[in-house]
Amino acid sequence: MSKEMKKFVALVGTNTKDATNRKLLQFMKQHFAGQADIELMEITGLPMFDKPQDMHVPDRAQAMAKEIDAADGVIISTPEYDHAVPAILMNAIEWLSFGIHPFADKPVMIIGASFGSLGTSRAQEHLRQMMDAPEVHARIMPSSEYLVGQSLKIFDDEGKLNDTEKVAQLEALFADFQQFVNISKELWHSTQVDKELLDNRNNIKA
Amino acid sequence: MKLVGIAGTVEEVSYNKKLLQFMANHFSSQVDIDILPIEGIPMFDQDNDQTETQAVQYLNRKIKAADGVIIATPEHNHTITAALKSVIEWLSYRVHPFEDKPVMIVGASYYDQGSSRAQLNLRQILEAPGVNAVVMPGNEFLLANVKEAFDANGNLKDGKTVDFLATTLLKFTKFVKVINTMNDVPVQTDGAAEEEDLMAQHPVKTTVKDVDMEADDWVEQAAKKTNAVDGDTYVKLDRGLLTVNQLNYFLNTVPLELTYADDNNQFIYYNRGQAKGKMLAPRKPGQTGDPLQKVHPDRAVRGVKKVIHALRTGTDYVMTPVPGWTADKAIIHYYKAMHDENGNYAGVNESVFDVMPVVKWYLKKSGQLLMPDPNAKTDAGASASVDDSASAGGSDTGASASVDNDSASTPAPAPDMSADAGAGASES
Ligand SMILES: Cc1cc2nc3c(=O)[nH]c(=O)nc-3n(C[C@H](O)[C@H](O)[C@H](O)COP(=O)(O)O)c2cc1C
Repeated sequence: MSKEMKKFVALVGTNTKDATNRKLLQFMKQHFAGQADIELMEITGLPMFDKPQDMHVPDRAQAMAKEIDAADGVIISTPEYDHAVPAILMNAIEWLSFGIHPFADKPVMIIGASFGSLGTSRAQEHLRQMMDAPEVHARIMPSSEYLVGQSLKIFDDEGKLNDTEKVAQLEALFADFQQFVNISKELWHSTQVDKELLDNRNNIKA
Repeated sequence: MKLVGIAGTVEEVSYNKKLLQFMANHFSSQVDIDILPIEGIPMFDQDNDQTETQAVQYLNRKIKAADGVIIATPEHNHTITAALKSVIEWLSYRVHPFEDKPVMIVGASYYDQGSSRAQLNLRQILEAPGVNAVVMPGNEFLLANVKEAFDANGNLKDGKTVDFLATTLLKFTKFVKVINTMNDVPVQTDGAAEEEDLMAQHPVKTTVKDVDMEADDWVEQAAKKTNAVDGDTYVKLDRGLLTVNQLNYFLNTVPLELTYADDNNQFIYYNRGQAKGKMLAPRKPGQTGDPLQKVHPDRAVRGVKKVIHALRTGTDYVMTPVPGWTADKAIIHYYKAMHDENGNYAGVNESVFDVMPVVKWYLKKSGQLLMPDPNAKTDAGASASVDDSASAGGSDTGASASVDNDSASTPAPAPDMSADAGAGASES
């Protein structure tokens, strides 16, 4: 691993074993192995978020937050359930914005795969809205929708994307994302202020 | 009226729970609201299907049996809670109790505008195909600054808020009646309608043979096979002479969405005049040529069969409302039977249109207003009357309008399926 290689957390937005969204992230990990260090992160194993009065955040969520904190950016791949983000991913984001703020000002790239041809466009829109909420406050890469439709047919036996156009698109987008991470590092002025705002908000809530 | 209430949260202390509880108590003389807790429903997981568990089946049964559903939603991160989303996922996976169910959304939050994004989001989710609820349009009940809103007995302190909630609930009860009447179009009892072959397996004289009906380029293939003319070639019509181009200009600008389904129940034409995405009943170019069954969701198949059977056996036309009428939009499907020169059934001429622009224009031009008909029988055939759904949809024109006797006696509201099938072959 070269020195300037960036570290990314790839959040798998589903609890389904054979999910095509996990395949998509696994493909990215392999395909970009020479450029970046991408580690997949599962979101299972968290209890249903119930906004406990004592503000206790489960250990699993704390551990996830730590890894995200240490990463240069986060890639999230989301399926689409009922025109929206699956509950399991919503739940993870709820825990990861409850008194802890691992996503605050973290560069985020959103992608998604679906069986139909629309390729999770509505779920991605929904996810953007969530990641932009004050308690989450991620830095979402703008104009970067990456949709994989017909996701059951698009991977070959070795888990490679079999559509060269889609691969080229992903390569370009990932190059942009790495650039976006660099630019985001320059945008530190508001970060401090934002962090303070978030902390204040938590005090109000408590 | 039997309603169920769901508070979209598993928090122990919740103002949304409080709001629902208040509604159930305060309006108990008007409606019966049964509150269904969602605690204990596990996280949705395709690999661990919980549909058959008691907890999920309980919700499924209760919602199915209810006349309507009220959901009170908090807002987390600009959206609904994962707990509520998970419940909806279970109820849109193997079972679908929300299908065609009238739903009202309310929400309570700490801040001023809180829950408005979550409400909008919830609406989109409930209208997704696997859920298919009919969410009351227009109304948003947002209870802001909840910490001060309730007294020690759990009652809302502000009289105006209670009044507004009462009005919203009244609109919802009307909406529930309208939607549920639309849903129970009586089935013809002789079962003959079931015989309609929506897979189009009974070719007729005009059926183009040896072309895959479901091919995306069915039109091109079938045109080649039949040596169909196009462009500036003239065709002789009853009564006139047009080139194919002219015919297209003409049909594409008729202010109706027209569909031709032939006597073999094959969808062979629609006028592609509307910009994509703007159609009231969206059709895709690749669908032309498909058997009717392929262009309808399963749940619509029975209704389609009934309509076609009625037309094939002598009914002149059938009108059906699209659920969700408001004062601004009331979409109708108008199915007219077609016959050849010998009177043999030749298929369906379907037009889809929104009546409200014309109704509004007419009212303006004639200086009249719409008003609710105090004698309307919401559960008879005339259920889908304009006034009823207008007020159900939260219109203010409908609610405050006055009118003279003249307009009260203007032509009757759309005859719906039941009224029409009964009228048989009445020529209009
Ligand atoms: C409850 C439920 C709802 C779904 N709703 C949608 C939907 O609205 N849009 C869609 O494209 N796929 C929907 N799907 C199908 C697929 O799960 C979806 O295309 C998904 O993105 C596939 O991703 P995966 O392979 O990573 O699980 C739904 C599936 C379930 C179980």
